[in-house]
Amino acid sequence: MADLEKLITVAKETVSRDDVKHLIGWRQGTYGFRVSPHFITEPEEADKLIFSPLCNSNLVNYLTWVEKLPVPRGQEADTRKVALMVKGCDSRAVVQLLIEQGIKREDVIVIGCPCEGVIDLAKAEEMFPNVLEQVEARWDGEKIVFKLPDGEKAVPREDVLADKCLRCRYPNPVLSDVLLGDEVKTEGNDDYADVDGMEEKTTKERWAFWEEQFSSCIRCYSCRNVCPMCYCEDCILDRLNPTWINRSNNISENTAFHLARAFHLAGRCIECGECERVCPVNIPIMTLNRKLTKEVREKFDYDPGTDPDSKPLQASYLPNDQENFIL
Amino acid sequence: MSEQFEPNVVAFLCNWCTYAGADLAGTSRMHYEPNVNIIRVMCSGRVNPLFVVNALQQGADSVLVSGCHPGDCHYMEGNYYARRRFTLMKELLDYVGVDPQRFHMSWVSASEGNKWKDVVGEVVKETKEVGSFEQFQRDKINW
Repeated sequence: MADLEKLITVAKETVSRDDVKHLIGWRQGTYGFRVSPHFITEPEEADKLIFSPLCNSNLVNYLTWVEKLPVPRGQEADTRKVALMVKGCDSRAVVQLLIEQGIKREDVIVIGCPCEGVIDLAKAEEMFPNVLEQVEARWDGEKIVFKLPDGEKAVPREDVLADKCLRCRYPNPVLSDVLLGDEVKTEGNDDYADVDGMEEKTTKERWAFWEEQFSSCIRCYSCRNVCPMCYCEDCILDRLNPTWINRSNNISENTAFHLARAFHLAGRCIECGECERVCPVNIPIMTLNRKLTKEVREKFDYDPGTDPDSKPLQASYLPNDQENFIL
Repeated sequence: MSEQFEPNVVAFLCNWCTYAGADLAGTSRMHYEPNVNIIRVMCSGRVNPLFVVNALQQGADSVLVSGCHPGDCHYMEGNYYARRRFTLMKELLDYVGVDPQRFHMSWVSASEGNKWKDVVGEVVKETKEVGSFEQFQRDKINW
């Protein structure tokens, strides 16, 4: 479990350094179970930092979503480092960005937080509806303790944790400069039960399921915007020439969008589950992504975002890759 | 149905092997199914998997991607990349409920006119089994 005192000391030290631009972490949100990202430039601001089961957002996309303005003549570009707090799953996003050379190693300071699982907001809000005051939470063995306005409540972790955390294989950061607290035990074991369940259905049943899901898509592109791996400056969805995917909202374009989005993450998705968390119409996007993750693991023995020295899956090949479907 | 269903197969062929193979089949006066619409690309590695999705959206009943045999690529390694991509794309299409008979991939070299004939026969036969594609074709969807 992450040590909060150590976090604040480390944060203060880090932001005091001259070569650090800012530190990105979490702070308590405005109400309920929400947390907000917290950008620190001054040591005093570090006291607000938290790391708790509520910190379910992935901060890695702030690394690539920085607006890179042209540098005026006579001035030098800001090359200071960015410090970033990561959970186990988020650290895989950092590693995958390094594999793809989306960021440089010397430009980031990774503050690793061993994580025992974060909550699923929907599950928590169903359990404790209409909580308007700020809620605090902490891990306590097999339980998660919420500090609600009417006293502390302990809840078994299975009831409130996000699905991705119950099957988590990387609770400890894969890569970190500073590790807060002791490493936690890896309990999850991912057997891809949800994907297998879908594969057992017939083709017709699968289409019936996905047709319904894709029809409800409102094409807000939240899944793309929140994804730490979707950082192309010129996204095909925004392009008009060629128009890969029309903007009209119908089953044809929605299906094409979801196929394109899923395929662009093939061999890159690090399963942080952000896309599914932010989806306003609750499309099970991870069920789609995890199909590809499963295939990548079975067919190419590749786990995205675990080895910074590996090559990107689709930019490499083996002469003996299997090809039993090819005529 | 009085008229027999004639599928529309879109084939992305690599310039150096399969396109030449199809040409050989033609110049050798072999008879093969006329349902296939050939799009020549410089390499099977040029074929973006979204081409397949777009072809299905725009009226194809099935799609064929064909290139040089592994090791024979004119650009040394393009077909290896294509193989990885389409292994995943085929699984993805099947997973969302598109019949697996609607996407095919093959290796046909410039001298394999006979194999090209067989591949086209196989693809057209399988496409006829699953019929016309209506799941997310632009003109056939129910708005």
